[in-house]
Amino acid sequence: MRRFATIAGSAALATAIVLSAGIAVQAAWADPPQSTAGAEQIVAIRRLTESQYRHAIADAFGADVRIEGRFEPERREAGLLAIGSAQLSITPAGFEQYFRLADLIAGQVTAPERRARLAACQPAAETARDDACARQIVSRVGEALFRRPLTEAESAARVQTAAAGAEHTGDFYAGVALALKSLLVAPEFLFRMERAEPDPAAPGQYRLTGSTKAERLSFLFWDAPPDAELRRAAASGELHTAQGLRRQLARLAASPRLQQGGRAFFTDMLQLEHFDGLTKDSKAYPKFNQALADSAREQTLRTTVDMLFVQKRDYRELFTSNSTFINRHLAALYRVPFNSKGDWAAFTFPKDAERSGIITEATFLSLFAHPAASSPTRRGVKLHEIFMCEPTPDPPADVDFSKVQALETGTVRTRLLAHMENEGCAACHRVSDPVGLALEHFDGVGQRRTLENGQRIDVEAEINGVKFSAAPGLGLYLRQQQKIPACLVRNVYGYGVGRAPDERDEDYLADQTEAFASDGYRVPHMMVRIASSPEFFKVKLPARAKPATKVAAAATHEGGLQ
Amino acid sequence: MSLRFNRRSLLRGVLGGGAVALGIPTLDLFLDGHGQAWADGARLPVRFGTYFWGLGLTDTPAGGTRWVPKTTGPGYEITPELEALRPLRHKVSVLSGFRVIGDGRPNIVHWTGHASILSGVAPAVNNRMDAPSFDTRIADAIGGGTRFKVLDASASGKVVSYSTRTGAAFATPETTPLSLYTRLFGPGFQDPNNADWKPDPSIMLQQSVLSAVGDQRQALMASVGRADQQKLDQYFTAVREMENQLALGLERPEKCESCVVPGAPKSSIKGASVDVVNANTKAMARLLAMALACNQSRVFNFVHTPGASETYMAGASKIYHQITHDEPTDTRLGYQVETSRLAEQVMQGLGDFLAELDAIKEGDGTLLDRSLIMAFSDTGYAKIHSIENIPIFLAGGAGGRHKAGQHIAGKGDAVTRASLTAQMIAGAPAGEFGVGGMRTSRPIIELMA
Repeated sequence: MRRFATIAGSAALATAIVLSAGIAVQAAWADPPQSTAGAEQIVAIRRLTESQYRHAIADAFGADVRIEGRFEPERREAGLLAIGSAQLSITPAGFEQYFRLADLIAGQVTAPERRARLAACQPAAETARDDACARQIVSRVGEALFRRPLTEAESAARVQTAAAGAEHTGDFYAGVALALKSLLVAPEFLFRMERAEPDPAAPGQYRLTGSTKAERLSFLFWDAPPDAELRRAAASGELHTAQGLRRQLARLAASPRLQQGGRAFFTDMLQLEHFDGLTKDSKAYPKFNQALADSAREQTLRTTVDMLFVQKRDYRELFTSNSTFINRHLAALYRVPFNSKGDWAAFTFPKDAERSGIITEATFLSLFAHPAASSPTRRGVKLHEIFMCEPTPDPPADVDFSKVQALETGTVRTRLLAHMENEGCAACHRVSDPVGLALEHFDGVGQRRTLENGQRIDVEAEINGVKFSAAPGLGLYLRQQQKIPACLVRNVYGYGVGRAPDERDEDYLADQTEAFASDGYRVPHMMVRIASSPEFFKVKLPARAKPATKVAAAATHEGGLQ
Repeated sequence: MSLRFNRRSLLRGVLGGGAVALGIPTLDLFLDGHGQAWADGARLPVRFGTYFWGLGLTDTPAGGTRWVPKTTGPGYEITPELEALRPLRHKVSVLSGFRVIGDGRPNIVHWTGHASILSGVAPAVNNRMDAPSFDTRIADAIGGGTRFKVLDASASGKVVSYSTRTGAAFATPETTPLSLYTRLFGPGFQDPNNADWKPDPSIMLQQSVLSAVGDQRQALMASVGRADQQKLDQYFTAVREMENQLALGLERPEKCESCVVPGAPKSSIKGASVDVVNANTKAMARLLAMALACNQSRVFNFVHTPGASETYMAGASKIYHQITHDEPTDTRLGYQVETSRLAEQVMQGLGDFLAELDAIKEGDGTLLDRSLIMAFSDTGYAKIHSIENIPIFLAGGAGGRHKAGQHIAGKGDAVTRASLTAQMIAGAPAGEFGVGGMRTSRPIIELMA
């Protein structure tokens, strides 16, 4: 309450200054409890990811709409792009792309063969404006894209765009295409605007609006906007009740679209965007090409989603299982037979292949390596960062590299031992390198090998007094690490709420991790538990907007230019 | 439906109280309608570009370097790692001895150096700058009135740009010559020398698309917190730039005598070896140069290789970054031989890049003569992650404003002096730059005409 009092005080002061400058500034956000009591507040803005954008378009217009374009790079924060997305905006180059994509999409969906799908209405004449029909189309598509019903102003602006367009071109659907384009480049579509409203059950407190709750749920479970049923539940207030929320969660988790949500989550957590800039030296790795990279990515996602979301197996098996899916490209890389007539087939590696789950897939082994060599350090660093939520600090700037010398012969282990002798390096390398060295039977694209520069590769490793050997030994070691399921719980929560967990979340996360363990580490069940907890919808009010004093001063200055 | 971001409505908006956080540079107000000359008709603004490469240049640890010329002032000698600049030495100034002053902040390896040069302050954390990069100030000052206020390109296949307005969100670069070509000369391009030019009526319809978007600006801006306001501000700035782009499409483009629309480049090989990166650099330089000559843009940011560069000699198993740290100093020669060889290759990229700008004739000189390119790296001597003596070059005559062809010894001055000089020469309204120990109001006057 004290917080609000302070805010209210400064807002009053600001208002006085603003008024004295004769300038009407909307200081709504500066004073939530008083001047805007009853009003909604935007509490977070998260840019849609590429896959969310694609799913939103497919849901609004059909899965066959072509989306050909490039998306802006995303930003990883606290281990996840989903958290970074809350810090991103859209640059001019990015907006150009969205504008072009909007053109492409609007053109397709208003083409003669598809326009019947847009709405139930037909224009009185296809050569003239028809505001009533345009309004129907704008309302229906707008609600799907903005993930909530449009306001009257939002609707009216688009109907006017459609009317002006129809009059200029003599084509009703050309006008509609412009209106749709305007929806497709709007901030309400491109960003998830999370809103809070005063909580009727707790005076002075805020709760997320029903439609924001619906968004959090559907993007977590399906990586897509809420469907009509979820929007209905949001509008009716059902999502604010425990029973209503439970009913929707059961529906979300039972849907086949859960696999799509799982795919998106693991694409983010496993840092698969690194495939975009991945290059390998063609002399060192002649088998590596774009088709192989795409196959590796698909192998990882198929295997992970099948194990965790279809078969609902123990999360820890991700590090020990030798069952996977392969295609022809991967069969050649792994040097195993491929006998299926289809593109993909289930495959179980023999024991002597030393394959042990996700850490021995071409994805992990090639993404975290050099263009023409493996990199135990990089693999070790990424293994800790991705699966244990333990980022490695930046290397110290003042390392004495004189002891670290190039070696043209021998194995990479010899070189890394030099780091271990250097105190500045050792603290991190002692953690990162052993797990990486255990994976040295796999080269920079994931092919098995036992020799490097003619010497036998040693894959023995020791960490915290635990000794293990090669990838299967490492897999078993990881299976025992409590940090691994705890990290997944942390990631699922951060991914859903779009914010890095802080120390106030620790008890909650510990409880969730415990529940995850007692339930046999089933991922979908854990997601449901998290999404049904009050913490999932906790409101964090943002820092106030720019002080109004500054606004007034700036405006006065600009006014002086007159 | 009235929100259009032209200068007049901006003024109306400002006076009407809409100035909450509209990210519009004041300077636009002073430009004439096309942004091509100052309102009093004075000389044309120059073109400006940044050029970044990773891993600095090489020291000879017993004393000296492989790149700093012995003499200062004009007519410096060409050192081994500057060989690629020999043909254009009279158009390139070499800045040595400038350093990052961190005011107690740690040296975040392969980040602090260029983040300081660009933002004027040693960053607190990796991959984030504590202030906008200064190229955005220049773009605000001179980039108006062209289709692209700023262009970003990266030659190593990595999606990396160091240009930022918020410190957290960085520009999106084109990563292949073909994608750069398509953006510049694909749909939406109007040949300035086309005699049959007619305005495309569909552009006005496209404008109506954006005006509905702009209508929501006020309401949205008023209902968000500070951080989100910044994000929305950036979004609406992007909308405004799109509006400008569309508005330009309705005006007959001014003839550009040097503009020759290039053909589409062949799709390039994806690769990160230094020969591939240099080939991409050359192809992209040709396109960027023609974009400047065809008045599509006046400002660009180019990344040859990122900090901690992963380029390598084709067929070699080690990457440049690893070599800079691991390679011993040759006891006989006194420097890291392989490292220096790679540095020479990487500098060839810069030499080729500048040559492409110099190949286009403009008026009585070349495009390079009317441009200022600031090239710099993340480190000085990469083996020890040095952020002292970071190599910086200022290339091009900047329309007579840059007294090029000199070697300036910084003697431990802050790198921000170089950044300030570039801003002033390029025409940004900067009187000082940097924070704390790197705050400076002293440009390098020896370089300024």
